Amino acid sequence: MALLELEKVTKRFGGLVAVDGISLEIKQGQFVGIVGPNGSGKTTLFNCISGVFFPEEGQVIFEGQDITTLPPYKRAPLGIGRTFQIPRPFASATVRENIAVGAMFGTLGNQLSVDESLDQADIIIKRVGLDEHRGKAAGTLTPVEKKLMEIARALAMKPKLLLMDEAMAGMHPNDIDEMVAFIKKIAEEDKIAIVAMVEHIMRAVVGMAEKVIVLHQGAKIVDAPTKEALQDPKVVEVYLGHPPEE
Amino acid sequence: MKTQIKKYYPLLPVYAAYLILFIIGKNMTGMWQLVAMLLFYCALGQAFNIFLGMTGYVDFGYVAFMGVGTYGMALSISRLADTQMGIWIIAMGFLLAILMSGLLSVAVGAVALRLRGAYFAIATIGVNEGFRFLIEGARIWNGSEGIIFTAQLNKILGREAASALSTFWADVMVLIIAALAALVTMVYMRSKIGYALTALREDEDAAKVMGINVTKFKIIAFITSAGFAGLVGASAWALKTPYVFPPEVFEIHYTVEGIIIVLLGGAGTLLGPVAGGLIYGISKYYLAIFLPGFQLLIFAPIIIIIIVMFPEGVVGMLKVRLNNTIFERFII
Repeated sequence: MALLELEKVTKRFGGLVAVDGISLEIKQGQFVGIVGPNGSGKTTLFNCISGVFFPEEGQVIFEGQDITTLPPYKRAPLGIGRTFQIPRPFASATVRENIAVGAMFGTLGNQLSVDESLDQADIIIKRVGLDEHRGKAAGTLTPVEKKLMEIARALAMKPKLLLMDEAMAGMHPNDIDEMVAFIKKIAEEDKIAIVAMVEHIMRAVVGMAEKVIVLHQGAKIVDAPTKEALQDPKVVEVYLGHPPEE
Repeated sequence: MKTQIKKYYPLLPVYAAYLILFIIGKNMTGMWQLVAMLLFYCALGQAFNIFLGMTGYVDFGYVAFMGVGTYGMALSISRLADTQMGIWIIAMGFLLAILMSGLLSVAVGAVALRLRGAYFAIATIGVNEGFRFLIEGARIWNGSEGIIFTAQLNKILGREAASALSTFWADVMVLIIAALAALVTMVYMRSKIGYALTALREDEDAAKVMGINVTKFKIIAFITSAGFAGLVGASAWALKTPYVFPPEVFEIHYTVEGIIIVLLGGAGTLLGPVAGGLIYGISKYYLAIFLPGFQLLIFAPIIIIIIVMFPEGVVGMLKVRLNNTIFERFII
């Protein structure tokens, strides 16, 4: 059974069809890249999966359960975690507290006390290497540290599916390689399915995704293993335009 | 066990401040009036902080909860005076104050808490005035004539005890309410409620996606804060002066004072309302004595300077300064 299934999901904003009848399947532990130019509907699709928007048509099914109209705070405990394109830390709280919030209200939320959540946070802080920033207010971190903290916060939720919105945007190529290796390692160890949204950093996609889904103007145009997908003529056209005529 | 107690260390400076205030007021002649006023401002700040400070939502109708609480006490005393309940009538009054302010907060919260930020603030401005005109216009609880219950209070307690209540015990009750509000704030801060409130104050959308039912936690903070406001009204207003008139208890001025106290001291901090209440109360009192007529002219720039210098409030600034010192664990 697929972990996440989207069936002909459509989301409109007035006359604009942001997501146009998209169906897709994500398996447990799978690493999927969602690629598409600006305005192709990636973020809207993410918002439909995490519950920020409800689609007008179609179904979102998570582990066999229809969650199409479930509010976002009820999806997190089921195991859907998410990071944002521009990190959104709880700025006045410390890094440790930020990460503990993930543990407190995530999939293990009902079982963990505040103290246990803080212990969980400490374990994850070690794992992602934020030790020296543990007691700092999250708002004072550098952008890259904030991204790392946001990923740590999402991991603390012990998700089954992690949606990463442009996790690498604005990062130095060396940092990207490091981040890719790190995310890959975590995903394998924790058996988390990761759906990473990428606009233009192909380096990240090639490095980690097993499968690539390409969106264009709200519709899915390609859904194939990474290498195949990136050589698909339709993808080349969307990204590079028509090959020059002789 | 010891680590559990350690978590509540930040209550120490709060309670020390209240104790010192009480000792000064009790032992120095002529000081009780000032101390009573300071206790009122601290209690107002401590109660308001649970909502305003912890959620970051500004409620301009907050005084309505104090007003309704005042009515709770007034109704209990004026209607039950002929029963044999004796001193329990006062306890009934507090119970009624909590119930009535709590109910009003559920009603207001159910509608207004769907709105965010500035929209919430605007929606709540009307609550206070609306409730006052409802009482006056529909002649609820004697309408604009208010309730005067001096005679009933004298009947229940006797003349002497009633006078001691209004000059001393009512203020002691305000102190106890402030201390209780601080305790509840501390318990919230150390529980999931506090973490959820911090998260939603900083970024409500991110909090939702993290699995936090933001509406639920906002309402918890709102009801708690309103309940304490009701208790403050019941003791600082109804018991202190045994009458209640709608225009006096639904006076937006007190809401504004509460906002200033919370922001001055440090919104969302435990010690902040005490610091804010003391700074606000003391400067207001002495400016009125030494520069009568000019107090507001001087007072406004003082507040502006403090807010500009310490945008996180006095305690917010202290928290940063004392980071990594032995005082760290006492200041929240």
